[in-house]
Amino acid sequence: MLRYLLSRLATSVAMVLLATVVIFLIANTVPGDPVLSQLGDMAASNPATVAAYRAKWGLDLPLWERYWIFLRGLAHGDLGTSIASNRPVLDDITDYGPATIELATVGFVLSLAVGLPLGILAAVRRDRWIDHVARAVSLVGVSAPTFWLAFIMLAIFYGALDWAPGPGRLDPVAFPPDRVTGLLLIDTALAGDWDTFRDAAAHLVLPSIVLAAATLGLITRTTRAAMLEALSQDYVRVARAKGLRARLIVLGHALPNAMLPVVTLGGLAYANLLAGAVMTETVFSWPGLGRYTFRSAVTVDFPAIMAVTTIVAAIFVLVNFLVDLSYALLDPRVRK
Amino acid sequence: MSNQGISIGRRHAMLGGAGILASLLRGTHPVLAQSAQRKATLVIGIDISDIISLDPARIAQYTNPMIGHAAYDSLVTVAPGDYITIRPALATEWAYQPDGKTIRFKLRPGVKFASGNVMTAEDVKFSFMRLINVKDQPQQYIAHVDRVEVVDDHTVDMVLNDPTQPVLSIIAAPEFVIVEKAVAMAHGATDAADAKDKDTAVAWFNENSCGTGPYRLTGWQRNQQIQMVRNPNYWGGAPGYERVLIRHMSESAAQLLALKRGDIDVAFNLIPEQIATLKDDPAIGVLGATSLDFVYMAVAESPDNPALQKRAARQAIGHAIDYDGIIRNLIGGNAVRPVTFIPVGMNGSTEALTKEIGFREDLPKAKALLAEAGLPDGFSFQLAYGNAAIAGVQYQTLAQKLQADLARVGIKAELAPMDQLNARTLYTSGKAQGIITFWNPPAPENELWSGATINRVAKRVHWDVPEPVRKLVADAGAERDIAKSAALYKQYQQAMIDAAHHFVMIQPIYQVAVRKSVTGFVLTAAGWQAELAGVKPG
Repeated sequence: MLRYLLSRLATSVAMVLLATVVIFLIANTVPGDPVLSQLGDMAASNPATVAAYRAKWGLDLPLWERYWIFLRGLAHGDLGTSIASNRPVLDDITDYGPATIELATVGFVLSLAVGLPLGILAAVRRDRWIDHVARAVSLVGVSAPTFWLAFIMLAIFYGALDWAPGPGRLDPVAFPPDRVTGLLLIDTALAGDWDTFRDAAAHLVLPSIVLAAATLGLITRTTRAAMLEALSQDYVRVARAKGLRARLIVLGHALPNAMLPVVTLGGLAYANLLAGAVMTETVFSWPGLGRYTFRSAVTVDFPAIMAVTTIVAAIFVLVNFLVDLSYALLDPRVRK
Repeated sequence: MSNQGISIGRRHAMLGGAGILASLLRGTHPVLAQSAQRKATLVIGIDISDIISLDPARIAQYTNPMIGHAAYDSLVTVAPGDYITIRPALATEWAYQPDGKTIRFKLRPGVKFASGNVMTAEDVKFSFMRLINVKDQPQQYIAHVDRVEVVDDHTVDMVLNDPTQPVLSIIAAPEFVIVEKAVAMAHGATDAADAKDKDTAVAWFNENSCGTGPYRLTGWQRNQQIQMVRNPNYWGGAPGYERVLIRHMSESAAQLLALKRGDIDVAFNLIPEQIATLKDDPAIGVLGATSLDFVYMAVAESPDNPALQKRAARQAIGHAIDYDGIIRNLIGGNAVRPVTFIPVGMNGSTEALTKEIGFREDLPKAKALLAEAGLPDGFSFQLAYGNAAIAGVQYQTLAQKLQADLARVGIKAELAPMDQLNARTLYTSGKAQGIITFWNPPAPENELWSGATINRVAKRVHWDVPEPVRKLVADAGAERDIAKSAALYKQYQQAMIDAAHHFVMIQPIYQVAVRKSVTGFVLTAAGWQAELAGVKPG
C-alpha cells in the first residue's frame, strides 16, 4: 500500500511539472508582447524603457533559463512577482483564492445536497414525475450557458424581486471581518459578527446556485444511472426477497455501491469549480481566482499564469489522489 | 417496494432546502441598504480591474486618476468642459521668470493636509522630486522638468531643461499632485536620486493617502472596492459625503441592476442600450461629457502593401467612409468627430473645423483619387482590430461597417480580428496595414497628441514626416499665446489630412448614470473622470 502511495505521489509530481512545461511553452508562443500590456503608449515606444522593463522581468533571458528560474523559485516556495500587479503572485493568490474556494465549496455542497437525493429519487421512482423533474433540472443545469443563467438569476432575484443581494461578496457599506482565513463565512463566525455572516451568506446564494447548476446536472444524472444499475443487481433482489424495508435497501445496500462513479465525478467537478468560475465571477463581481487567471492570460503575465497553472494542476492531481483513496474506503475490494 | 420511507425523505429534503434558502435571504439586505450609514456614503459602481497602483508617482492606468484626484490636488487644474484655460488649485498664481526656463508658483496659503498639517513649499518640492526620481511612467511626461526648488515657505520654482515644451497643462493631471512629505517619508518614500530603487512607499500609497484633496484613501481590496473618507480639513469646504466607496463591477448589466436597486449611486460603464432603458426612471439621471478619447483607423505605408504606399489611395479611404452613419447608428449620436489627432474641445479643434478641412464622405472623389493612384478597380488591405469595445461600440461592428463602406468604391478591407494585446503588438511593431484602435490622453495637452503623431505613431504607419510638419508641431507646442497656437494647430491638422494615415471616427460622449439622490456630480474629460469635491446627498 505504501509503495503504491509513493509511486502515485511521484507520478503526480511529474504530471504537475509536465503541465507547467506545456503552459510555459504555450504562453511563450502567443504573439502578444507582455511589455505592451503594462506600459503606456509613450513608455512602450521608448526603447530604453522597454529594455529596462524586459531586463527587470527577465523577459530578455533565453526560454530555458526563464523556466529554470521558475522551477528554482517553485522549489523555494517562491512563485515570483506578477508583472501586472507588481506584487508577489502568492500575495495575489492569497487575496483572490479564498473568494473562489468559498464560492466553489458552497456551490459544490449545494450541488451534492440537491443532486444526490434527486438522482437517488429519480432512480428509485423511475419514469415517475420526480424522474422527469430530475431530467429537466439536469438538462437545464448542464445546457444553460453560465453567463446567461447568472444574468437571469440576477435580474429576477435581485433586480425584480429584491430577494437576494446584488453582486459582490458583501453589502457595500458592510465592514469586512478581520482576515483570518479569507473565507468570509468562517471569519465572520470567528469574530461572532452574525450580521455580516448573514450578509456574506446571502451574497453567496445566487452565484453558488449558478455555479452549482452544471455540476448539479452531472451529479444527478450519474447518481441516477449508477443507482439504476445497483438496484438491478442480484443482492438487491435478495434483500427485497428477505423483506427488508425499501429505505434500507436503497440507502444501505444500493447506494454505497453506486457511489464509486459519483465520487470520481464529484472530485473532478469540484476541481473544475475551483478552476473555472470565470463567468460567474465576472457577472457577480466576485473577486476570485477565475478573474485573476483570465486577466493574467490576457496580459500575458507569465509569473501569474505559471503560478495559477501549477496550482490548478496540483489541485487536480490532489483531487484524483483523494478520489483514489476514497475508493479504498468505499470499496473493500480495493483495500486488498 | 414500499414508498413510504422514500416519500418522507423527499419531503424532508425539499422542506429543508427551502428553509435554508429563505433564512439565508431573509432580511439581511434591505436593513443594511437603508441604514443611515448608507445615506452618508457615496457608492460608485465602476470597473476598477485596470488599477495597478494608487501611488501618484506610479499611476499609469485609466481608472485610478479619479481616486488620485479625490485624494490629492495639483498645483493647477482645468475645469470640466474647458480644457484650455489653466486654473489655480494649490498654486494661486504662476509666471515664467525672465530667464525663460523657470516657472515661479505662489502657493495657496493655509491649505492643510488630511492630517491637519499645513502644506508648505517643502512638500511641493518633495512631491515633484520623488516623482522625477522614482522614474515610473508619469515621469516621462515631465522629462523636461529638471527640478523644483524652494524659494520660501509659499513659493517654489520649477526649472525646465526644455522651456519650449508645455508644462502647466500636464501637471494638472493627478499624477503630479502634492503629497505630505513627513507622512510619505515615514512610510518609506524618498525623493533622493536613487528613489527608483530606494522608495518603498508604494504598498502604503496603495491603501492610504496623504494629500489635500476632499477625501482620504483608507483602503483598496483589489478587484473589490476602494474606500475613502471625508477630509475634514479640505480647503475647498466640507465634502458632502462621509465616505466614498468605489465598487468594482466588471459587468455593465450588474451595474444597471445595482443602480436601479439603489445599491450604487453612480454607474460608470453602462452601454448605450442600457442608458436608453433609464430614460423613464424618475430616480435616475444621465450625465454626458464629451471625452477627449477617440477611436481611429490607422493605415500604414506598409512594405507589404504597395497600394497603401500611395497617398491618393489612402485619401480615397478617407473619402469613402460614412462618418455620419457611424456616429448616428453605431453609438446613437453620442459622439463628435475631430479633424485628426487633436480632440474636439482642445485648442484649435472644433466640429466646425472638421466640416471645413476634415475628411468627408465623397464617393466620386474617392473614385477619382483611386484612379489618380493608378488603382481604378480599388485594392485590398488587411484591417486588424482587437476584441474590445469603446463606449459600447465593438471594434468588430465598426470594422464591418468600414468594410461595407469601403467596398462601395472597390476597396476591400480584409478583416483580421485578434486578441487586443496581439493587435497592439502588431501596430506598435509597425506590422499592421490597417488597424482600428483607440487613443486616450494622459493629460489635456495638445502636444501630447501632435508630438506622438510625428514620432512614435508616425513610425507605426511608416510615415517619413516632412521637416515643415515637424517644425509646425514644435512651434505650436512652444507658442504660449492661445490664439496663435490654435492657428498653428489648424495648419498641423491640415497636414495630417493631406498625409492621410489616420481616420478619426468616434470621439465618444461618455454617459454616466447617477441617482437623483446625489447632487453636484460633475464629469470631466481631463483624465480623472469626475470631480468628487462638490458631490452632495440631495
